[in-house]
Formats: sequence, structure tokens, C-alpha cells
Amino acid sequence: MANVTFPFPYPQHLELMLPEIIIAIMAMVLLIWDLFLGKDKKGWIAYAAIATCVATAFATIQVTTGGALTTFYGYFVLDPFASFSKLLMLLATVFAVILSLDYMKDEENVGEYYCLILFALLGMMLMVSANNFVTMYLGLELMALSVYVLVGYQRDVLRSSEAALKYFILGALSSGMLLYGITFLYGVTASFGFDAIGAGLVNANNSAHGVVMLGMVFVLAGLVFKVSIAPFHMWTPDTYEGAPTPVTAFISVAPKVAGFVVFMRVLHDALPAVQADYTMILVVLAALTIVVGNVAAIAQRNIKRMLAYSTIGHVGFVLMGLIAANEAGYAGSLVYLTVYLFMNMGVFAIIVLMRRDGIQGELLDDFAGLSKVRPGYALAMGLLLFSLAGIPFLAGFWAKYVVFMAAIETGHLYLALLAIVFSVVGCFYYLRVIKYMYFDDVRIEFNFIESIPMKMTVVVTALAVTAIGLYPDPVMAICKQALVGLI
Amino acid sequence: MLEAGFFYLFAAMSVIGGMGVVLARNTMHSVMFLIFCFFNTAGLFFLLDAEFLGIILILIYVGAVMVLFMFVIMMLEVNKAKLKEGFLQYLPVGGVIALILLIELIAASSSGVFNTETIAAVGHFGKDVNNTVEIGKVLYTQYLLGFEIAAIILLVALVGAIVLTLRTRKDAKYQNISKQVNVRKEDRLRKVRM
Repeated sequence: MANVTFPFPYPQHLELMLPEIIIAIMAMVLLIWDLFLGKDKKGWIAYAAIATCVATAFATIQVTTGGALTTFYGYFVLDPFASFSKLLMLLATVFAVILSLDYMKDEENVGEYYCLILFALLGMMLMVSANNFVTMYLGLELMALSVYVLVGYQRDVLRSSEAALKYFILGALSSGMLLYGITFLYGVTASFGFDAIGAGLVNANNSAHGVVMLGMVFVLAGLVFKVSIAPFHMWTPDTYEGAPTPVTAFISVAPKVAGFVVFMRVLHDALPAVQADYTMILVVLAALTIVVGNVAAIAQRNIKRMLAYSTIGHVGFVLMGLIAANEAGYAGSLVYLTVYLFMNMGVFAIIVLMRRDGIQGELLDDFAGLSKVRPGYALAMGLLLFSLAGIPFLAGFWAKYVVFMAAIETGHLYLALLAIVFSVVGCFYYLRVIKYMYFDDVRIEFNFIESIPMKMTVVVTALAVTAIGLYPDPVMAICKQALVGLI
Repeated sequence: MLEAGFFYLFAAMSVIGGMGVVLARNTMHSVMFLIFCFFNTAGLFFLLDAEFLGIILILIYVGAVMVLFMFVIMMLEVNKAKLKEGFLQYLPVGGVIALILLIELIAASSSGVFNTETIAAVGHFGKDVNNTVEIGKVLYTQYLLGFEIAAIILLVALVGAIVLTLRTRKDAKYQNISKQVNVRKEDRLRKVRM
């Protein structure tokens, strides 16, 4: 955060922002292109969005170096940590667009839908590359604003509008809390940079302790809301249920990755001086989140609502890696988020496939007898649900294993025990879906969407979950390597 | 001394304005109180030599945003009595939270971090420092990235607002001009052999 004199020098190393620049330009190009496309050709926008994501992924790999480099006068940082999370979010976006292909076909203003997904992606990519509160907050708002609109996209569906409104109001409240907390940290350290705040807090005198605590609590409350940790999870079930299913898939993965990456940066760079205090708060939050998520999911009959509570439960497990606050813990959280991406995207792909004339295919009853009609889908769904439940030798097991081990090694044995008990409780509602699929009779006629990209998504995610489960070492090694920029 | 007097005047008035926004029975009065609050906050900016921000606050917020707000309120016809239903029901919980927050804020602000010994009083720059130029210098250098992102946020807000409101209604009939212009004889005229 060097002081810049006027007339300003041209920002050095602009090429580090190449991925963001591609996304920003392409989003605007698609916005215009959409005007010239006929109603039946709007699908091209989706394929162009996928191509953009693929190109951006290559650009991200190309500009990544081994260390951390900054550009835009130090307000943007690119390190392997940011690059890895960007690749995860790009993958999540590609899956979300594929899921939308058929689902959003009949909606109005389809072109803008894909543009907004790209803008949300841009916001998240800026978030993970933020090393200061200014870039972080603006990226967060860009992401949040796009997502509010995406959630409310089905204007004719009442619950979609309701979900968007609830998400918007609570999101605005949490942004307010986040900003208010930032002002206190700024008041003590006179800086927005994470590193500068970290250094300032170490040197701050004792009288500042109360102010720092207040700022920290507000910042944590704001961040915790974005990744739906209890008791700030109230928006999640309603939003997940009301949003169009592909958007639910998108917001259940990508913003969580971005949120946790920012969370790790804030905890590790800005708040190491108060680690003892924030660990205490996070342990309570993690325990509460795991209990609320896994217990409340049992009562749900709508699978989207059930997965919302399941997300809350999983987020609690990811938080355990942050509580451990060492290399193993952070790497564990990254492994968890990576695995969670595949599991959730696969499950949501099958839910989207279940939609047929007039029926959303979201109730648990709708899955009855799936194995008799479509054994392939039932098998994939079964694998993904087993993985979500954490059955050994599927990816979800290793994800849980690494964060539990990290928590135990740093002395949070009771939290790990609680997490283990409640992940067993969690098995119940995942296995219940499998029971519906395999042991119940067909109740309603199935009439599946025949879409090759969707089938590919199901196959790829199910295979990924199995492959990572059988041979988890590469993913773990990559996640460890990605931490170079952070630790 | 005079400056301190003005500070307390503006500060007290903006707090009163803020209270008025929440407490006024009539929604229109709330908006008026908000304008009052903005004016006094602008006064605080002037005291800090930040005349550009003060003028922007009056021009943009009072001049544009609040006027738009008034139109919206006039069109929506919000029934505040109905909104206030159940207010008493939430008062105990809300009141306790507000009280805790107030105590925390007082504790934080009186902890000695924000007193005049640790933070030097803001001096005046004199007439050769141009507030607008100074803001421009940092906005287009250090904070350029933030500025650009804010621009994209505005674009998204624009697109989002249009996407959510601009819908063709299925039960209404529309004129499609390009279809009318491009219509060919064969589309409308059919020769029938008698």
C-alpha cells in the first residue's frame, strides 16, 4: 500500500488481473450480444459464458507464480491461494451454467441471467484476491448484489421473490455490521490493509483492547453471515428453497469458497493478535452450526431445504479447519470446500433433472422408486449422498477426516467429538433419501430432461467423488501447495 | 471555541434528525428528518475542511436520492400504522440488544483510543489545499481498483433492476414493430382458387 504521488504512475503488473479483466469484459460483451440474438438462440450466451470460464481458468493458471504478487498499488494480490480458489469458483460457475441450460430456458431475460452469474463470479474473484478491506468489501457487494437478483429471477414464482427479499434485507444488515466493524479496526490501526491491521493490532496498547474486540466481533458477524454459520443462518433455508435450483447450486458452493477464503485471510493476516479471543468465539459458533444444521435437516421434506441445512452443517465442519488455524487446518478447509463443490453440484444436477411438467421434483417423495426407473441416476445420487454423509472411501470422508484431525491436533478434542457425533446424526437424513430411491415404489411418473451436458455433470461429479475417495493424496497435496501465499 | 460550538450544534441536530426518522408517525416526515440529518452531517464535513464531501452529500443525497425517495413513498402509500403492528412484541428483545450495543459502544469510545491525546486534532489545511483535487488524487491512484469495482456494481444494480421489473405480460397485447415492418405479402395474403 505504497503512497502514490500525482500524476499517478501506470499500475505495474496489470497482467495479474487478466482473469478478472476477461470476465468483466466478457460479461459486458454478452450483455450487448444478447440484444442481437433471437429468442431461440439465447442458449449461445450460456455456451459463451462456459467458454469464458474455461479461458479464464487458463489465464489464471498462466499468470500464477509461486509467490504473492500485488498490483493496482498494492490493492490486489495474486498468490497460489487466490488462484486455487479462483479455479474452484470457475468450476462451480461452469457447473451452475450447465445446470441452468434447460432450467432457465423458458424464463424471460435469459441473457442477463448468465451475465449476472459472470458478474457474481467477478465479485468473488476480487474478494479472494483482496488483501485489504476496501477491495474485499467491494468484491463482496458485487457478488451479493448479483446473487440477490439471481435468487429472485423467477418473478412469477412468489417464493423466489420472497427468498430474494429476505436475502437482500439480511445481507444488507450483515454488510452494515461488517462495515461498522471495519471502522473500529481502522480507527485503531489507521489502515485498511490486512497485514497493516495485523501489525497495528500487535503494537496497539492495552486500552485499545475493547475497541479491537468490538471491531473484531462485528467483522466476524458480517463474514459469518455470508457463509451462513449459525446463528446467522436464518436466511439460508428460505433462500435455497425459493431460488431457481441452478442458482441454489451456485450459491451453495461458490460464495462459500469466496467467503471462507476471505475469512482465512482476515483471521490469519489481520487478526492474529487476538487469536485466543476469536478462537473462543469460533468454537462456540462451529459447535452451534454443526448441531443446528444436522438436527434441523432431519425435519425437512423438501430436498432443497434439507440441503440448505446440510450446507449449514458442512460449513460448521469447514470452520473447524479455521479454528485449528495452522497449515493442516487451512489446507483441510480447502480440501473440504473442493470436495463439497463436487458433491453438491452433483446432487443439485440430479434435482434439476427431476423437474418435469409442473412438478419441481424437490420433495423427498418425488425420489421414490428412482432406482427402478433410472438406476444410473440413483447410483450417482447414492454415491454423492454417501459422500456427503462421510461414509469411508468416498471423498466426503477424507474431507471430514482432515479437518477433524486438524482440530484434534490443536487441542479442540471436544469440538471434534461433537462434530463426529453430529455427522453420524447427519447420516440419517442422507440415507433417508437413498431409502426413498431404492426401497420405495414409484409414485409418480418420471419424465426426465434429456440433456447431455447435464448427464456429463452427474457422471463427472460422481466419478470425482469416488476417485478422490479412493485416492485423496493429489487433492490434499494441491490444497497444501495452495497455501503458499497465505502461510 | 466557535468551532466546537458548531460541532456540537451539528452533531446534536443530526442525532435529533436520526431519531426523528425512526420515531415520526408519518413516513413523509421521516424523509424530511432524514434530509435534516443529511444537512447537519454536511455541516460536520465542512468543519473538517472536507467541503467537497459536504457539497456532494447535499447535492446527491438531498438533491437527488431523497427526492426520488419521496416519489417512491408517495407512490407506494406505505401504511405505517400497519408496519408498526407487533412493534411492542419485539420491543423487549430488540431493546435489550440495543442497550447492550449502546453500553459496548460507550465503553469502546471511552476506552482512551479515540481521545485527543492519542489522535491529534485535525488541523486546517489553509486555502492552497484544494479538497476536490486531493480526493481526486487518491481516488484515481490508490483507490482506482475500488473505484472501478464500484462502477461495475452500479452497472449490476442497473441490469438487476431492469431484469426484475421489465417483463412482458402474457395477458397483454404488444406491438412488434420489426415484425410489422418485415411482414411480406405472402404472410398475409393467400390466393384461394375459386
